[in-house]
Parts: sequence; structure tokens; C-alpha cells
Amino acid sequence: MNSDAVTTFFALLALTCDAFVLAALLARATRRRTAWWDSLVTMIGPSGLALAAVIAVTATLGSLYLSEVAHFPPCRMCWYQRTAMYPLALLGSVAAVRRDVGFALYGRVLAAVGAAFSLYHVLLERFPGLETGACEVDNPCSIVWVRHFGVFTIPFMAGSGFVAIITAYALAAAADRPEETSA
Amino acid sequence: MNENAETAKGTSAPRRIPLVAVIAAVVVIAGVLAVVLTRSGDESAPADVAQIRPVTVSGTPLPEYDATADPDPAVGREIPTLSGENFSGTPVRIAPNGKAKVVIFVAHWCPHCQREVPILAPDLREEPLPTGVEAFAVSTAVNPQAPNFPPSAWLESIDWPTPILVDDAEGAAAGAYGLSSFPYFVFVNADGTVSSRVSGEIPVTEFRSRIAALEK
Repeated sequence: MNSDAVTTFFALLALTCDAFVLAALLARATRRRTAWWDSLVTMIGPSGLALAAVIAVTATLGSLYLSEVAHFPPCRMCWYQRTAMYPLALLGSVAAVRRDVGFALYGRVLAAVGAAFSLYHVLLERFPGLETGACEVDNPCSIVWVRHFGVFTIPFMAGSGFVAIITAYALAAAADRPEETSA
Repeated sequence: MNENAETAKGTSAPRRIPLVAVIAAVVVIAGVLAVVLTRSGDESAPADVAQIRPVTVSGTPLPEYDATADPDPAVGREIPTLSGENFSGTPVRIAPNGKAKVVIFVAHWCPHCQREVPILAPDLREEPLPTGVEAFAVSTAVNPQAPNFPPSAWLESIDWPTPILVDDAEGAAAGAYGLSSFPYFVFVNADGTVSSRVSGEIPVTEFRSRIAALEK
């Protein structure tokens, strides 16, 4: 399988993450009029910790594939996102095994930091002049190594992962609070 | 199916989703789609044209460009001579030869080069350089893994109008001219000394004004 197929695979997973997040946002926004949010909390909340861990582990494996197999060297912004995603994979997995819902808060904070870096990295790709008018010799952050379906670049995929992790942890935390589903 | 069973089914609360099954389904569907979507677009054929070529440098290298250095220590120094080839294998020589010149270093993967080159190319085609001034591009920092490869196809698609020197794998030409970032411009007086250097995207007006400032 070539790197194009593998990155397309990750783009499709990111697309799934985005669909999941949009569905959750819609459910949350219509919470007073529909039972969608309660249904989501009931259906996914109990598995929220595991889902977040799976997303983080998948994103971590994807980033390692890109740098170690496809040989796309990680730039400065990539490393910032890695510093958020890798602990989420490790500690999130431990939290999922121990069913420690308390980690949902810390996980959301870490994922929010990562998502902020992803957003800035996407902006750098879109507007290369945001930081500087020139490319550094050694791997500037503005290089677009991969782009699928028009928008799915590497930081966009990472950002999709981060917001999906935030959503999964939000559902896990909501499932842990009975009043969330009974409201 | 009896009525009681139907009623019970209709009012049943949503069940917890079997996470493993859902994830497995998503992975399988994404994997199959990825293979199908990329099957016809399998790796593009490698370029027949050599994208790196030997370069001979003679003379003293220019100091590395530092945008904050004022004055630029390279100004007034003679440029080193670069001897190499273009993408077709035709010899290209950039040397002090009594003509003023501008040497433009570009990297195919650099987004700033990808923005600057399509702006400069039509300008160079439509408005000839002043008499006694020549222009060269140097394709350097080639990376087959990086986007917009190969540079020969990129520059051809833009119809780049000046001779192109193809740098070697070590970037000998770029190093000799003190390149520190892309795109990189070295403006050279007719006596072969550096008039000015600049890095990054520059407007056409600045490009033209630096050429106008050359001693011809």
C-alpha cells in the first residue's frame, strides 16, 4: 500500500471523526427540543473513554507512519501537536482501561491545546505569509505534504482527531452524570 | 409479532453502541475506500528528467544571507562561478562575465516559491530585462517526497522564461551563494559583484527596482 492510499485512509477516518463531532454538536445544540443528545450520551458515553483512546492511538500511529515510513519530516507545529496527542494515546488508554472518567477533563484540556495548534498549522498552510515571507531551508510548517478531498491536510486530520477526542470525553463525562441524560 | 412486543420495541431506550464492531466497520470501510480511490491514481510515473545534476563551484562562497545584517556583508563581493546543466542537460554557467544579472533560487516544495514564481514568470516574459542584464533561476533543495515534485515539470508548467541551473544533491550552488531561505534573490552588478540580496516573496516592483539599481 503506497503512502497515498494510507493517507487517504487516514483522511477518511478524519472525515468520520468530523461527522461524529458535527452530529454531537447538532445534538447538543438541539438538546431542549430533541432527545438526540441524551441518545448519544446513552449510546456512546459509556464507551467514550475507550473511543477517545482509540482515536488518540490511531492518530499517534498515523503520525509515526508519516514520519518513519513515508518520511515526511515533522515540522515545529507537528511536534507541538505530537506533544498533545502522544500523552492522550498513552494516558487515555490507561484511563480507558481503569474506567477513570476523571481523566475526561484533563484529556479535554490536552486535546484543546492540540486542536489550537492544529488550527494555527492549518492557517499557516493556507496563508504561508502568516509567520514569514520565506521558507526556512529545513522544513517550514507551511509545506502541504498531503491534501485529500481538498481540505484534509496533515494538521487538519490531527485537528479532526483532537475535536473528536474532546467530543468523546464530553460524552463520557455526561454519561457519568445522571442529570445530563435525565434533563 | 404481537402488539405488546411492538409496543415494547417502539418505546425501548437507545442501547449502548458496540464500540469494537463500529470501529472495525469504520476501519474496513475506510480501508476499502482508500484502496479504491487511489488505485487508478497510483504513484505517478517517476520523472525521466534528472532533477539534480552536478554543479562545479569556483571562487569564494558568499556569506550566508542574514536579513537582519545591515549592511549585507556580501555586497561588493564577487560572486562565485557556477557551472552545471539545465533540465535538458544543456550547460549553464553563472559567472562574472561583464553582464549584470539576477539569480533566483527556488525550491519546488516551498509555498512562497510556488506563489512568487508564477508572478515573476509572466512579468519576465512580458517586460524584457534592461539591455545588459540577464536572469537565471536555480532549482535547488529537490526532494522527491515533497510536494510539487518534480521541479522540471513545475517550472515548465509555468513557462519559466530564463535559463535554469539545476543544483546538485548537496545544494552546492545554493551554499556558494549563501542561501538561507526560499525564494532567494542575488542581484549582481556587471563587474560581477553583489549589488543586493533578498529572501522571501517580493513584489514585482521591488524586483524591478533592484534590477534598475544594478551597475550595468
